[in-house]
Amino acid sequence: MKSKLTLRDFSLLLSLLAIGGFFAIAAPQFLSARNLSMLTVELAITATLALGMLLVILPGHIDLSVGSGVGLMGGIATVLIIHHGWPAWAAMTGSGLVALVLWMAMGALIIRQRIPAFIITLGGLLIFKGAFWLVIGSHTIPVVAGGSSNLYSLLTTFFLSPAASAVLATLVFAGLVILNLRARRRRATLGFAVDDAEVAFLKLFVTAQGLLLFVLTVNQFRGIPLPVVILGVVALMIQIITRHTPFGRHLYAIGGNEEAAFVSGVPVQRTVIGAFTLLGGIVAITGLMQTAYAGATTTTVGDSMELDAIAACVIGGTSLRGGRGTVLGVIFGALIMASLLNGMTLLAVAPEMKFIVRGVVLTLAVWMDVKLARR
Amino acid sequence: MPALLEACSITKRFPGVTALREVSFDLRPGEIHALCGENGAGKSTLIKLLSGLHPHGSYEGELFFDGAPAQFASIADAQRTGLAVIYQELALVDELTVAENLFLGCEPRRGVLIDWDRIWRDGRALLARVGLDLAPDTLVGDLGVGSKQLVEIAKAHGKHARVLILDEPTAALAEREVDTLLELLRDLRRRGIACIYISHKLDEVFAVADRITVLRDGATITTLPTSATGKNEVIRAMVGREIAELFPRHASHPGEVLLSVEDLSAAAVKGGPARLHHISFEVRAGEVLGIGGLMGAGRTELLMHLFGAWGARLGGHLQLAGRPFDAASPVAALAAGLVLASEDRKRYGLILAESIGFNLSLSSITRLRRGALIDEEREAHANQGLFSSLRVKAPSLETAVGTLSGGNQQKVVLGKALMTEPQVVLLDEPTRGIDVGAKIEVYALINELTAQGKAVVLVSSELPELMGMSDRILMLHDGRVGGEFTRAEATPEQLLAAAMGRTPAAA
Repeated sequence: MKSKLTLRDFSLLLSLLAIGGFFAIAAPQFLSARNLSMLTVELAITATLALGMLLVILPGHIDLSVGSGVGLMGGIATVLIIHHGWPAWAAMTGSGLVALVLWMAMGALIIRQRIPAFIITLGGLLIFKGAFWLVIGSHTIPVVAGGSSNLYSLLTTFFLSPAASAVLATLVFAGLVILNLRARRRRATLGFAVDDAEVAFLKLFVTAQGLLLFVLTVNQFRGIPLPVVILGVVALMIQIITRHTPFGRHLYAIGGNEEAAFVSGVPVQRTVIGAFTLLGGIVAITGLMQTAYAGATTTTVGDSMELDAIAACVIGGTSLRGGRGTVLGVIFGALIMASLLNGMTLLAVAPEMKFIVRGVVLTLAVWMDVKLARR
Repeated sequence: MPALLEACSITKRFPGVTALREVSFDLRPGEIHALCGENGAGKSTLIKLLSGLHPHGSYEGELFFDGAPAQFASIADAQRTGLAVIYQELALVDELTVAENLFLGCEPRRGVLIDWDRIWRDGRALLARVGLDLAPDTLVGDLGVGSKQLVEIAKAHGKHARVLILDEPTAALAEREVDTLLELLRDLRRRGIACIYISHKLDEVFAVADRITVLRDGATITTLPTSATGKNEVIRAMVGREIAELFPRHASHPGEVLLSVEDLSAAAVKGGPARLHHISFEVRAGEVLGIGGLMGAGRTELLMHLFGAWGARLGGHLQLAGRPFDAASPVAALAAGLVLASEDRKRYGLILAESIGFNLSLSSITRLRRGALIDEEREAHANQGLFSSLRVKAPSLETAVGTLSGGNQQKVVLGKALMTEPQVVLLDEPTRGIDVGAKIEVYALINELTAQGKAVVLVSSELPELMGMSDRILMLHDGRVGGEFTRAEATPEQLLAAAMGRTPAAA
């Protein structure tokens, strides 16, 4: 038996090519090594947060507070370093722990007290925003004192050397090939549908070209940016968690039918609280990256990032009702959002128009998904 | 007599399958015509076609209503012509009152405003017509399934329906409610309203229908006057084979007590009024304990409570395999060796959008691990084993469960329960809404479970099933034990009396 490829499998790729093509023509510097390198950093930040969001959308919840959380977590680490003289690693760990506790508490409130996530996290959005401004005293504080660098600032200024980048990309590709072959063999022995050999080869071939293009481009600048490596690790972890652990199965089951999941022996409360706690950790990682990318913590860090994260999920085919969504889809969704923003910035599009375009794209993506899903 | 509604050699194709092949069917005025057939025989497709859900042009063949060609473009179109369908999943809005529901979509108006006086007045009249003694401003959500069904019929009546189509109307009803419904249908027949009656329960079909049409594999097999046929002939036509014995319960050799319940009382919520009162019983290894009772007697609540999925304990002692047992959640119950297959497949049983394999292993997935990760090979083998031993009819394990027929969905629910390797299996209405062939497979499975030394608790609304499959029968009445019987001594009259709270001694 074969699995069929449909238009829907390609719709994301096609939209991405269309967007990329448009900007390449309208703003030639879009394809410059420097810009693409920056774009991958922006992508890494958006996609990391969106992957965390996926964890709570899968069981049918939502989190509106992650944008404020990004600001707050970045702010806490900054203040600990600059005002309290903590070493960077301790400050970053500290802000991560705070995030884990806060998000675990929100998860517990949502699932134990049966308060909709929309409300709890809307409260979180406001509370974290206020707490953020209190923590930083509504000032702008650089992430590193003087002109030197620390572990924190290195998050977005460190690049793997071109040689290391090439090695890493090769290793990643080799890993993908091995995993792919193993999965194919296993599925075939179990009598499940597998892609045609040609299709499988084509997919790997396209992936290899993509990786090659990526490495060649970023190597022209400085090599692979550290955030991309962080995104890679986060994506791998989330892929394993959602697809290969009972916890991940339970996320899909709860989103598909919470009552049936409960009666089937799925520990609903523990699973949902776990998902929110993991999201908390990811919010902290994103907060640190975003603040480091901005170079300083200011009152606007993280603004409306929750919307980009949710949009990336939805564009990537995640159902807001829960039960459906994939890591790869979310990364594509984030890539579309990040490309749009980056390209519009290059074209010096007015901020007003940026908002409108993002909204239109999100609406279109959902509309298309609904249309194509009905076929 | 000219037919009121007639379908002439209807063929309906879906991509890849022909659901109906040259089906012909006629309904006379003032007739109750039963439509019988296994799941997947084409009954639902035929109904959807008659009711306009599959519009004219999407099928081949002709429909006639009152002698004239009928080309329904939509459900609304069919309704205007005089057809009303009462679906399995009732189409009522729980948050609205009975009267509002009766006129939903065709509210009487005075100018642009709703004429509330008429809604209340006409609503009351319609309710009286179906023998429902209810205030028109009762919220539908507060009604039981039986009353909701009657409201649906009243609603169809209000739209001056001349043909009522009832799809498994009694699936969720207790015996007494069934009687009320059948009596109402006979009454409607006297007033010239014709009715197409779809049911898996042949007792009802024979009690109420004038003629029976049997469908199999999308084709009309036969149409017979009820007076000139018998259940065996109908079953034979439905399954295309003879069924020697519907309830092949093997002789049992009960072993030690696996589940013992002593003086159990429970309420829906902490501090609420008790719904289960001082219930005691035990089930032994290799034994089937049947639990019967009317709708609302607390059967489902009892099973769900034992399983840790419903209510708050007020008192009582439970033992599982000799050890104290108190499941606070389904997770704990499964760990202790107790499993529940719920009556409501779509609500409590399955993740419909997911695959068969996903659903089968859902309850066992935490055990099928290697380290922190799912051992996908072991999972696939476990799934494959149940998939073939239960003979689930589907292209592969990766087929979405939502696309399966009722009987096959039920097999997946049971398979999921079995994979947990339980000691005690709680089955809540395991044969509801599934066809005869699948029922027999479920009964065979129950026999197999008891042969393996498991204890089975079987809740059923159908007395023949309860008497055919149980070694002992517990009848519940209003959350209390109304009586306990052995298989040998139980008679339908005794069981019913116990279900209605009349102890034989007092009667």
